This record gives sequence, structure tokens and C-alpha cells, in this order.
Amino acid sequence: MSLHDLLVAPFAYEFMRRGLLAAALLGVSGGLLGCVLVLRRLALMGDALSHSLLPGIAAAWLLFGTSTTALFFGGLVAGLLTALGSALLSRLTRVKEDAAFGSLFIVFFGAGVALISKLPTRISLADFLFGNVLGVGPDGLLLAAVVCAVTVAAFVIFFRSILLETFDPVFHRATGGRGGLVHMAFLTLTVLNLVAAMQTMGVVLSLGLFLLPAVSAYLWCDRFRSMLVLSVVLAVAGSWVGILLSFHAGLASGAAVVLCLGAVFLASVLLSPKYGALAALRRGHRPRRFT
Amino acid sequence: MPSDQTILQFRGVTVRYGRRDALRDVSFAIPCGESTAILGPNGAGKSTLLRAVLGWQPIAAGEILVGDAHAHHARPRLAYVPQRHAVDWDFPITVRGVVEQGRYPSLGLFRRRGPADRALVQAALEELGIADLAARQIRMLSGGQQQRVFLARAVAQGGDIFLLDEPFAGLDLFGTEELTHILANWKAQGRTVVAAVHDLALARSGFGQGVLLDTGLVAAGPIAEVLSEANVDRAYRQGRCVHGGAAGEVRP
Repeated sequence: MSLHDLLVAPFAYEFMRRGLLAAALLGVSGGLLGCVLVLRRLALMGDALSHSLLPGIAAAWLLFGTSTTALFFGGLVAGLLTALGSALLSRLTRVKEDAAFGSLFIVFFGAGVALISKLPTRISLADFLFGNVLGVGPDGLLLAAVVCAVTVAAFVIFFRSILLETFDPVFHRATGGRGGLVHMAFLTLTVLNLVAAMQTMGVVLSLGLFLLPAVSAYLWCDRFRSMLVLSVVLAVAGSWVGILLSFHAGLASGAAVVLCLGAVFLASVLLSPKYGALAALRRGHRPRRFT
Repeated sequence: MPSDQTILQFRGVTVRYGRRDALRDVSFAIPCGESTAILGPNGAGKSTLLRAVLGWQPIAAGEILVGDAHAHHARPRLAYVPQRHAVDWDFPITVRGVVEQGRYPSLGLFRRRGPADRALVQAALEELGIADLAARQIRMLSGGQQQRVFLARAVAQGGDIFLLDEPFAGLDLFGTEELTHILANWKAQGRTVVAAVHDLALARSGFGQGVLLDTGLVAAGPIAEVLSEANVDRAYRQGRCVHGGAAGEVRP
């Protein structure tokens, strides 16, 4: 197989062009969002959130069939109910936010699994669980473009608020920032991106597109802005390579993307000269501190 | 240079969390260019008072004046230093990056940093003696240097009234001396310092004025008068004695 066959030939197909473009768009917005998820220690919450989309998607599937719009809104409603519901619960009761989130999402996921067992066909549903780049239609591509545009716009316009709210929320509020609003907007953006990513990545694996590039970039960068840029570059590159891999090897596209990004993560964890594991071993286990 | 002029004034201020009063009908005045310690037992309203000045905690009654303006019109004059422990020291940000955040409130969302902003940031870095560390990630600093980064951010805000929430919490002996020295310098430059302070001995030695709270105001004025035996007793012990002395009982 020549290099041409490997990298260029797949683009001859319309569905591959669409899939790659959708993946690149979601790589841009996912790479940005992931940085905030990692820095605010919301990584596991993102995971819970991605699972909680399931009942919404399954219910929409049962009621309206496979229309992208219906699945999008189904997932959106379920995700927002989980995110905002657990924020509300933790404010009204003594239950802390992590427990509230954990409880709500597992109930939602259970409901999703129950609904799926009622679905007449399970074959195309597997695509929504694990991603199928072939499944990205013009609707799906449009959705990815809109979500990407909204996310990038939010990061450009509110860059300073996002940085302050992520780094030092108390100072942000003390200088007139609307901390709660930024947090809610961020949760909403996360749900939007998860829903948009479920077609290429699948519900269960979509978080990998956000988390892995961000946590890899975190190991290389000492500035927030450069972390954002590197994370986006890694997410776009990883999802392209992953989708090509899935095309050639016939793998589920979500899994292929996650494996590619996982390789980048593994390399970063081991090799980062400042914060990597090998560098730490060479220093004799000591964490890096001031000199 | 202390003067008789009042810079911060509370007039009958009440702040409520739900149905509970966090501050009740508090009135006092803070003189310009002085260092004032906000004192009182845990839950007496020290942090609430600072938040009320910053306009982050709505007040149920009364008013707060900065100079002769309402506090929310005077926000550019206020610089704030939060408690230190909340920050993630592994955050990908440099010393200069943190100090630049001091300019964000006046820049808003869109305005680009101009030469004036850069000069303020540089001056703040130099004033706190951390200009040579400007490119370092913040984990690569000693505890005292980390504290100075956040003081420099407050200086870069460009205000003349500094509000500090428990700045001495978690500092070792050297850090405490260093901070006391910096605050004394600020006072000498005519800056007004208002700090929530836990340690009464520190307040006595490092601050000229005091405001003693126990939800309501117990006393305000020169620190030695505020921290008289009788006032401390009222605020902290409410007539009780832990050794079971005169009162003979420890009420909850």
C-alpha cells in the first residue's frame, strides 16, 4: 500500500470527506473544552455526563426514528437535566455535587439501557455507542460546524472570564465576574459538544476526544494559551489519524480515535521533559519544585 | 501618612445569609492611609464584610461608602487578595500571567492590553521583587514568593484600597515577617489596607486600626483600644470562661 493509498485515497469517498471534516471541527472545540475540564478537575464529571445522554438518545430514537435533529435534542435534554439537576440538588440539599452527579447519571444511564432493550433494531444503535464515521450525514456535519463555531466564539469572547474562573474563581467573583453563569455556560457547552461528537465518536467514547488531547497538552505547557493551542492541534491530528485507521482497519471510529489519542497521552506521560514520569524517576521521585 | 479623612464607611450595614444575620447593623469608619485589621471569632462576619465592600454579597440594609461614592461605583479603587489555599499551583500559568489578571477588571472582555497596562504589571512585579521570576510557572516558587505574586496582582489592579482575606493564614515565621514588612511599606506609601486577621497578637503588632466584630460591631478605632480586655472578652467569650471560673459553666 503506497502513501497515497494510505492518506489520500480515502478522500475519494464523500462520506470520508464529511467524516474527517466533522472530526476536525469537533477536535477544535473538544480540544478547547477539554483544557477547562482537566484544569477544573471535572474529567470524571465529563465522563458521567457523556453516559447520561443515553436515555435521551434512546427515547428520541423510539419516538422519532433516526433523525439527527431528534437525537441531538434528546441527548441535549438528558445531558442538561443531569448537569443542571445535580447542580441544583447540591445547592438545595446536603448532598455534595459529585455524589449528586454520580447518582443522577447512573440512574439516567440505567434508564438508557432499559430503553435500548426495547428498541426494535440494535445494529445502528451500536454506531451511536461507539461511533461510525460512515454515519455522518450532511446534518451531522452541519451540527458539528455550528457547535464548533459556538464553542470557539465563546472561548474567544470570554477568554479572560474562562481563565479567571478556571484559575481563581474567588478573585473572579470579587472583581465582578459572574462565576455561576460561566460555570453553567460551560456545562451547557460540554453537553452540546458531547452530543455533536456522538456520531463520529459514539456516546461512550466521545469524552476521549476532549480529555486525552487536553491532558497531554497539560504535560507540555506552562501557559494556558499554549495549552489550548496544543490541545486543539493534538485533537485534530489524533481524530484524523484515528479515522483513517478506522477506515483501513475496519475499526469502530470512536475506538480508533481514542486509541490514537491514547498513544499521544502515553508518550506525553512518559516523555514530557518537565512533568513526565521518566523525568520524575531520573530526579528520584521528587515532584518538581522551585530551585 | 495617616490622616483624619475617612475612606471607607459602613452605615448600619446588615448582611443576611438566608434568615441568619452575618452582619447586623454595623457602623464604623476607616481612616485613609491606615492599616486596619478586621477581627472577630470564626463566623463573626470578617469575610462577609470584605465581600460586602466588593459588592459580591448583597446588603440587606444600610450603605457602604468608599470616599463619598457608593461601594459599587468605586470598584476600580479596590484591590482584592483572596485566601491563598484555593489556587491550583500546577496551573499552566507564569508569574507574569497571574499579575496580568490584575488588569482584567479594567480591560473588560475585549480591550487589548496597552503599554500602560504592561507598565503597571511590570511596576507591580518590580515592587514585590519578583520581576526576575516573571517567566516561571507558579509551582516553581517558594511560599513567600507565591504570596508576593498575589500581592503583585492586587497592586497591578491599580487601586488604592487593599482588601486582604486572611493573608497570614498558613504562612511560616519568615513569611509572616515578610508580609508584615510589605504591608508597612504600603501604609508608608499612603495605601489603605483592610485585612481580615485571625491572630490577635499579629493584629496588635502589625496594624494601626481595628474593627472587632461579633456579627454586630463590638468596637472600632485604634487597635490597642479595640483589643482591650473587656472588648475581647465580649467578642470571643461572651462572658464565658473555659476554665470554669466566675461563670462556672460553659454554655454552647
